[in-house]
Formats: sequence, C-alpha cells, structure tokens
Amino acid sequence: MTPILELRNVRKAYGDFVAVADVSMAVPPGSIYGLLGPNGAGKTTTIRMIMNITPQDSGEIEVFGHPRTSEDLQRIGYLPEERGLYRRMTVIDQLVFLAEIHGLKKAKILPDIERWLERVDLAPWAKKKVEELSKGMQQKVQLIGTVLHQPELLILDEPFSGLDPLNQELFRELLQEYRAQGKSVVLSTHGMELAERLCDHICLISHGRAVLDGNLKEIKRRIGGNSYRVVAKGDLEKLKELPEVEQAAINDGVVKLLLRPDASGPETLRRMVAFLDVHEFRSEEPELEQIFLKAVRDAA
Amino acid sequence: MRLENVVVVTKREYLQRVRSKGFWVGTLILPVFVLAVTLLPSLLIAKSETRQSIVVVDETGKVAGPFAARANARAGQAPAAGKQREMQATFDVKVEPPAADRQAQRADLDRRLLRKEIDAWVWIDPGVFADKPVEYHARSVSNVFTQESLRDDLSWVVRRVRLEQAGIDPERAEELTRSVRLDTRRVSEKGSRAEGGAAGIFFPLGLFMMLYVSMLLWGQQVMNGVLEEKGSRVIEVVISAVTAFELMMGKLVGICLVGLTQLGIWLGTVAVLTAPGIVASLALMPKGSALPTLTAPVLIHFILLFILGFFAFATIYAAIGASFNNLQEAQQAASVAAVFIVTPVLVMWPILNDSTSRMATILSLIPLFTPLLMPLRIVIEMPPAWQIALAYLLTIGFVVTMVWFCSKIYRVGILMYGKKPTFKEIWKWTRYA
Repeated sequence: MTPILELRNVRKAYGDFVAVADVSMAVPPGSIYGLLGPNGAGKTTTIRMIMNITPQDSGEIEVFGHPRTSEDLQRIGYLPEERGLYRRMTVIDQLVFLAEIHGLKKAKILPDIERWLERVDLAPWAKKKVEELSKGMQQKVQLIGTVLHQPELLILDEPFSGLDPLNQELFRELLQEYRAQGKSVVLSTHGMELAERLCDHICLISHGRAVLDGNLKEIKRRIGGNSYRVVAKGDLEKLKELPEVEQAAINDGVVKLLLRPDASGPETLRRMVAFLDVHEFRSEEPELEQIFLKAVRDAA
Repeated sequence: MRLENVVVVTKREYLQRVRSKGFWVGTLILPVFVLAVTLLPSLLIAKSETRQSIVVVDETGKVAGPFAARANARAGQAPAAGKQREMQATFDVKVEPPAADRQAQRADLDRRLLRKEIDAWVWIDPGVFADKPVEYHARSVSNVFTQESLRDDLSWVVRRVRLEQAGIDPERAEELTRSVRLDTRRVSEKGSRAEGGAAGIFFPLGLFMMLYVSMLLWGQQVMNGVLEEKGSRVIEVVISAVTAFELMMGKLVGICLVGLTQLGIWLGTVAVLTAPGIVASLALMPKGSALPTLTAPVLIHFILLFILGFFAFATIYAAIGASFNNLQEAQQAASVAAVFIVTPVLVMWPILNDSTSRMATILSLIPLFTPLLMPLRIVIEMPPAWQIALAYLLTIGFVVTMVWFCSKIYRVGILMYGKKPTFKEIWKWTRYA
C-alpha cells in the first residue's frame, strides 16, 4: 500500500542548531500515526516541514503518493501547536474563510458548517465574534476549522494540549471516525500514554532523529518479547544489577522488567529467587515509555 | 501564486473592514475633522469680536479725537454684506487729557487697569509724528489681533496728520494710494476661467491631504493586520493553506480596495460640493469665480497613484508588522517608515507655489514621493507627458522591488516569535532561500 505521507531523510538546521537531523517515516492510509518524543526533539519542525511552512534543507516529502504540491496542502487538515483565530470575525465567517482557503466554495460549505455547529452545541453562537466566546468554545471552532474541508490527511501538533476534557473527548471521537473512513491522522505528542491508547503506528523522534518507526503492535512484539511484570518483596533495586536486565521500573513493589532480547525469562526468574521473595512473574506487553527509553539508548 | 487564494484573502480583508462601524465613523469623521482644523480657528477668531474699553491719553491733542471717532463709528457698524469679515477688534475709547503730574496719572491708570475698570490704556507721545512709538498698556499683550487693529487705526490717524502737515490733502492721498486688486483666472486647455485664489490653493491641498491621510492610515492598517494575525497565532493555520506571498498580496489588495472605497466616498463628496452652484449657494465664494473641478484625467491619475503609493508604503508596513511581536515593538520601525510619507508634506508648499519648478519636477520623480507629489502637480497644472510617464515607470519599478524585498522579510518574520529582532537579523532573513 502506498503511504499517504512519506518522509525520506529530511533535515532542517537553523544556523548551527540542527532541529531535525534525519527523519524518515511512512504513514499508511487509514491509520493514526503518532509522532512521539520529548519537547525539543524536533516534532514541530518536522510537522512544519510537512506543511511546507518551513522548507527542509534536504530530503524528500511525498504526499498522496507524489512529491508535495500546494494543492495537496489544501487537502490536509492542519492544527498547529500554537492555535488562534481571527478574534473579531464571527464564528461563521471564520469557518467560511478557513474552508475557502482550502479551496471550497461558500455556498457549498454553509450547510456543513451548520451541521457541525449543531453537533458541538455552538449553533446559537454562529453570529457572535470569536472574542466573545469562551476558551472551550473557541477550541471547538478551531477543531471544526481543521476538519471542515474533509481533508484526507489530518496533521495535528500536540492536539490535546490545552484542551478541556470535554473537547478532548470530542477530538478523540473525531479521530476514530476519521480512521473508520479510511483516512489518516498524524499527531505529535509527548504523552506516551495517550499515544498508546490512540495510535496504530508510531515514529519515535529523539534529538532530531527518528529512532523507531512502525506499527505499534509489531514494535511491541519485536522489542517487547522480553518484557515481564514482577511482584516481589526484598531489595528490588538489586534487579538492576543483573546483566540481562535492560530496564527495571520499580513502583510500589511492582517491577516492569525489560530483558535483553537474547536473555531467557525463566533463567532470570531462577536468579531472582535467590535474593527476592517472588509472588508473581509473568510475560506482558511493554509500555511505550519503556520502548522509547530503550530505543533512545540503542540509538545513542 | 494562485489567484483564487489571493481573492479569498482579499475578500476577507475588504469585507471585515468595510463592514465595521469604525470604517464608516472614520470615513465620515475625518472630513469633518479636517474642515474643523483648517477652518475653525479662523472662524473662531473672526467670531470672537473683542470689545475693549481703552483710555487714550494724547499729548499731541491731534490723534485721540479722530481715533475715537473712527473706532466708535466702526463699533456700531455691521460688516459689509458679502465682504469677508476681517479680524478686527472694536474699542470703547475714552479720551483723557494729560494731567500735570504724568507719573501720578500713569500710576492711576495702572491701578484702574488692575481693578479691571479698563482693558488697556494708550499713551500718545508728541514725538509720534516723528518716530516715537505709542505706548500700549494692558493686562495681556498676547492679543495680537486686537493690537493689529489698534495699530491700523492709530496709523491711519497719524498718517493723515502727517499728510496735512506736509500740505497734502489726506482724502486725495488716500484715493491715490489705493491698492490694486488681483483678479485670478486659471488657464487650461479648456479655456480660462475665474477661480478664487484661496480655492486655488485649498483644492489641490485638500486632494493632497486626502491622499496623504489614506496612505498613512491604510498602510498602518496593513501593519496592524499582520500583527494581529501573528499575535493571535492564526497565521500558522492560514499559512498552511495559502503561501505567505498569496497572503501578503491578498492583504495588500484587500486593504487597498478599502482605501479606494473611502477615497471614492470622499472624492464623490468633493465632486458634489464643487459642482457649480452648490458652493456658490453656500455664499462661500466671491461672486464671479468658480471652484476648480475634478476632471477625468486628474481623477484617473489620482487613483492610479494612490494604488502605487499604497503598495509602496504598505509593503514596508507589512514587513514591519511581520518582523515584530506587537505594536510597541513595531512602533519604532513604523515611525521610520512614516518619515517617507511625511517628507512630501514638508516640500509641499514650494510646489504649491510653483508646480513647474525644477525642484518640483525632480522631487515628483523620486518614487517614494511620486505618489503624493505628482498628483499635487497634476491637479495644479498638468505636467508634460514624459514626466508623468517617467514617474509611473520609476514608481512601478520601485513598487515591484519593494514587494519582492518585503515579501522575503514577511515570509520569515510571520513565523518568528520570541525576542524582538534587530535590524541586522531582519536583514539576514532576506537572504534565506
């Protein structure tokens, strides 16, 4: 299947500062693709390059199976990290404008706008200026503006940051609908938990490099074949001294253990009982957090 | 550049502004304000007839009598109909003879002055017929118009006495030394016609001010608009769908159209007001003279040069708006840009006086000044065609260069947040790919 969005060895530097050193990624159709990494990893720069807001220094970006054109960009719904609306425009004028810059005609889009406003309970506010709306309402207008032109690809930079819980729920609903329609979503986040719940595919970015890219389940299977949950009493810190242990996250008597791929679980258990009172030892999926830490360490 | 994107942005910029109350208030209030500023002061002074009670002590015995008669006669008179009311003060004159003790009399007059029994006192020395000045004592001496009247009246009397002493009949002398009047007529291809001297200045001046105000006002609106997009962060969504250049052009064209709409309203008003009959019926014009009227060529040049001038200045403002984070930061750079618009105002008067001088020609060919100075020359006297053509050519070249240059700053600047950039940094932006 042709990826709906593909980046190959994309790089961007501002003078001496390298924001994105080398990122390659491929977004399959009908998926929610998470761009993960800590703040400052290069997520926003990557997204801005996809949107052609900042031109890349080198590397290729293909959208919908061909090198990106400005018409392609109009078929993308983009929500930047820093959001904003024209404060003195009415809700309806604002949405019409956002649809028009994406190549739609006013007459065609008006019924859609009304439907959307009904859905998010903003219909009575249609003729009000944006500055008269509460922050939560403005967020709704922004969300509608992002999806109004029925883009085939959504690109969202930290979409959940700053959203109130109701709008987070609304957004999540929207993303699921999108995926169900076979469309794709790329979202960046530094929240691993959220990505784990939402994304099918992920790309981990650290210091401007993509360190891991692929289907989340596959990645978990590949990397996390050796992940265990341990409940035990004793000096749990000692676990970290075992040579086959890559990571040991200890929390209230529960240890999330990640072993080297070539290590054997039962072997580790045998060594463990020598100094611990083990109550439970079972294989489980690793958490994204663990995978991320491992990937960053492996890349270094 | 995709035209449909520019059109979408243009439409937003235009409708948002024209639909706002501020636009209509500004459009209606500005002419009222300009009229008030130019006409009101003279009207106010003319209306504020000052009536001063003054005491005249005349040591010559020849001046006070005729002076009092002249001043008191005028006080009872209404100004002649149709004649422009001059700024004249009226005096209640009381003549008092010089006392034996001059010092005591002066002290007494000062006392009465301070008790506000009188407004001023005047002492006429015997040497007045030679060159001695007349003393004027008052609580305030800033009343220049009153003093002017007093001086005129006294001079009139003193002159007559001098003439008599020289054996010349004052009536005859007055008759023979009357000033000549100028009957001004403007000659153009359509023949000559009488135009009021004052109107001859006010008309080009009014059009010039209109252009000036529009360019300054709407140029700054471009800057404010860019700052607003940047400040509200809406810019990033917009710039993902349309290019920075499309957005800038859309904004410039949209706001230019708003300016033209406003100018259209103002010029329409001028056209109606200067139509034959209207102003005359308002009795503002001397009989037998006509106002200059807007002709089609003047109007066309006016509009074309407004568009060019707007683009020359507004692109600079767009780049400034994009470079900074807020109005405070942008103010300094904006005032530098304003210098280019203000300079033509400084050199306007010599051009009004002689629009064909070499200086006028050269200045009006400098692209930054052309949009304001060329219309001024055109409205006064149509310059040779080659000069107009050259001015257009130079200005168009300048505008294209400005748009090209400023769009580079604009493109980088609109996405720059954080610390206020230095001019050196902004210069660097222009060299980004």
